[in-house]
Amino acid sequence: MTLERPDRADPYLDLDEYEPEADLMVLNFGPQHPSTHGVFRVVMYLDGETIVKAVPYAGYLHRGVEKLCEKLTYAQITPIVDKNDYVAPMFNEQAVNMAFEALTGTEVPIRAQYIRTIVGEIQRVASHLLWLGTFAMDLGGAIGGGTSVFMWCFREREMILDLFEHLTGCRFHYNTHTLGGNRHDIPAGWAEKVHATLGHIAQRVDEYEAILDHPIFKARTEGVGVISAQLALDLGLTGPLLRASGVDHDLRRDAPYNIYDQLDVQVMTDTGGDCAARYRVRVREMRESIRIARALVDNVPPGPICGTKPIKLPVQTRVKDGQVYVALETPRGELGTYVIGGGDNRNASPYRLKIRPPSLHALSALPYVLPGHGVSDAVAILGSLDPIMGEADR
Amino acid sequence: MTTAERESAFVELLRARFGLAEDAEPPPEGFLLAAEHHFELARTLKQQHGYVQYVSVVASHWPEVPAKGKVEGDPEHYEVATLLRTVGPGSHVARWRVRIEMDGALDSLVPLFAGADWQEREQFDLVGVRFADHPDLRRLMMPEEWVGHPLRKDYAIETGHLPWR
Amino acid sequence: MAVDESDLPFEHPLYDLMAKMPGLDLATTSVDKLLNWGVRNSLWIFPMATSCCGIEFMAAAASRVDMDRMGTIVRGTPRQSDVMVVAGTITVKMAPRVKRLWDQMPEPKWCVAMGSCAISGDFYRDIYSVIPGIDTVIPVDVYIPGCPPNPEELMGGMLALQEKVALKRAGLRVPPEVRPETAKMIKPRVGRAEDPTREKLIGHHQALQARTLDLTEPADLVEAMTPKAAADGDQEGGA
Ligand code: SF4
Repeated sequence: MTLERPDRADPYLDLDEYEPEADLMVLNFGPQHPSTHGVFRVVMYLDGETIVKAVPYAGYLHRGVEKLCEKLTYAQITPIVDKNDYVAPMFNEQAVNMAFEALTGTEVPIRAQYIRTIVGEIQRVASHLLWLGTFAMDLGGAIGGGTSVFMWCFREREMILDLFEHLTGCRFHYNTHTLGGNRHDIPAGWAEKVHATLGHIAQRVDEYEAILDHPIFKARTEGVGVISAQLALDLGLTGPLLRASGVDHDLRRDAPYNIYDQLDVQVMTDTGGDCAARYRVRVREMRESIRIARALVDNVPPGPICGTKPIKLPVQTRVKDGQVYVALETPRGELGTYVIGGGDNRNASPYRLKIRPPSLHALSALPYVLPGHGVSDAVAILGSLDPIMGEADR
Repeated sequence: MTTAERESAFVELLRARFGLAEDAEPPPEGFLLAAEHHFELARTLKQQHGYVQYVSVVASHWPEVPAKGKVEGDPEHYEVATLLRTVGPGSHVARWRVRIEMDGALDSLVPLFAGADWQEREQFDLVGVRFADHPDLRRLMMPEEWVGHPLRKDYAIETGHLPWR
Repeated sequence: MAVDESDLPFEHPLYDLMAKMPGLDLATTSVDKLLNWGVRNSLWIFPMATSCCGIEFMAAAASRVDMDRMGTIVRGTPRQSDVMVVAGTITVKMAPRVKRLWDQMPEPKWCVAMGSCAISGDFYRDIYSVIPGIDTVIPVDVYIPGCPPNPEELMGGMLALQEKVALKRAGLRVPPEVRPETAKMIKPRVGRAEDPTREKLIGHHQALQARTLDLTEPADLVEAMTPKAAADGDQEGGA
């Protein structure tokens, strides 16, 4: 029996009142499952093969980062928050440092802003590549001959990691942003490498699109997991999820930070709101990011890369009070940092640091979207949300 | 509308209807409102001013400050900051704080924004602040049987949990 | 721990027959060698990938490093795998699940702790919700340090595990890795929050052991320890 897919299911459905004769089956999915992308658990109540109610459980990777940040000084926090969104660490670093800069009123030199923008856009490509690879793998080996797309995406992602290794010395967890700027300047020959790598990846993206233009992929994504624009806004979904539902909103254009106000960022939207729309938005964003990064990397103005001194050993910053909220657009959406100044270590630590995780908002859509779908669709929907548990649970 | 225009319209709204003093400068911590205005403000913003996107809720715990000399004492309390956003060009974040006593509860925003559900659950779990009329106020991050609220200032970071540590 | 039955008399009619059959002893040792080779080169991995190290684990399984050529196929189920690779932070909420999955794996099984989080908890060590190392839950065979370890390092760890498996199956003793440079290591100066319930003496004892690589208990320490602390120390040392 197939239930019709409600536009917005009731997450607080009382199962005792649901068709008393129906023989519901309880299926536990996670916390260790290859397609949950980390440790996440959903308990699904099934009527036949159709989900009637889904109850997600988060917190299997709650590492207490916010509590830890209350004990550390501002300069010590950057490498800690690196580990939150481990697929796009550049954005974590930048988010907290932008918040601390707003709190202390530190100016960021223009060259550092260029570098931040460039590495951010390249990181966005890497993050979407990883998403594409794992998403295609979740949808089954039939697509593109086994795990081809996964292998291809990782092949290209490794090239981007090489770029970052050249810049910062690390494959990931870079610790390159700091209060008031960056710690690593662009080395000689890096710009050419960026051009070569991104040019190569731009060609490869066409290849992915060609291989995923596949009847099975379409059947498993089109019309699956539709999130309406109203539901997306209510839930606080951001980034590609919101844009795939047809809302034209991108913090890079609408609340610009760095040098985005001087750039012409194309906001990619789609109207379907389903998994296929989310896939299309992300692929288009990859192209757009490649375009932005390639346009900027030749025009980086000269100057200092850090506003505070000394660069390698930052001075202790002390802030008495004040509260700021700063947000930026990551591959997953709005990553916000709310900081209350004036904490331990004689005001050298934040009193409270809250990270607004886009992944947690994305996961909270599950009880509204899953009912009416089959179990195999649940995997597709969960994958298309692109959750990173390190960031959702912190 | 640009972000700056939205900001001044927001301040005007607070002054006109939500008890902000006429000459009050925007403080560096954000506006502190009375708790009874909380839900009404969120509804006005959502329905009339285009703040349709739910951003976040941040609760913090403030331990008791004993009165000492000229410094005034302050009983233990919570503070909850709420953030809503407009979408499209010139996006602006409306941000306000309310103060809750230790045994008090704040009106939940779940009837307005479905996304408030998990965020308020998380703040209840980690900080301990209660939300009135929340449909499903359970722990989100910690196991159900956990004792205490980790992000409170009186909770030691290294508190053990047997048998694992 | 299995009971030592080596000196007990064991009789079975089949044994007499086997002892008289010419060439059988040769055949069994050859079969044993073959089995040994097979087990060593088909270590199927069950990835316990919880966080950042899991991404590097995926990178190791993907195109550039391609760990599969060592016969280490990644399986999604514990019932078909030999090695559990714990890649990432294990929290209090997750630890019982890890234990349960470990119990579901068939013998013989091995465990690899990948990354500082799985080894010791990394900088999350002192946090209320993180367990200080997976070896407080399940026994670990190979530790791969790093935050995160490169895919190449993971591969090195798997090679070390292959060696260990070969020695163990041949009934040989696995020599511990000797690292003379650890003797020069001094205690890090950065202070860290201490678990108030933890015996000071145990930490001291462990530090001494790590520095001298001497795994026997120093007599004066044993004496100095209260009976309770001594029992705890044994547990910690054996884990
Ligand atoms: S060791 Fe480092 S990279 Fe690995 S899980 Fe822990 S924090 Fe992440």
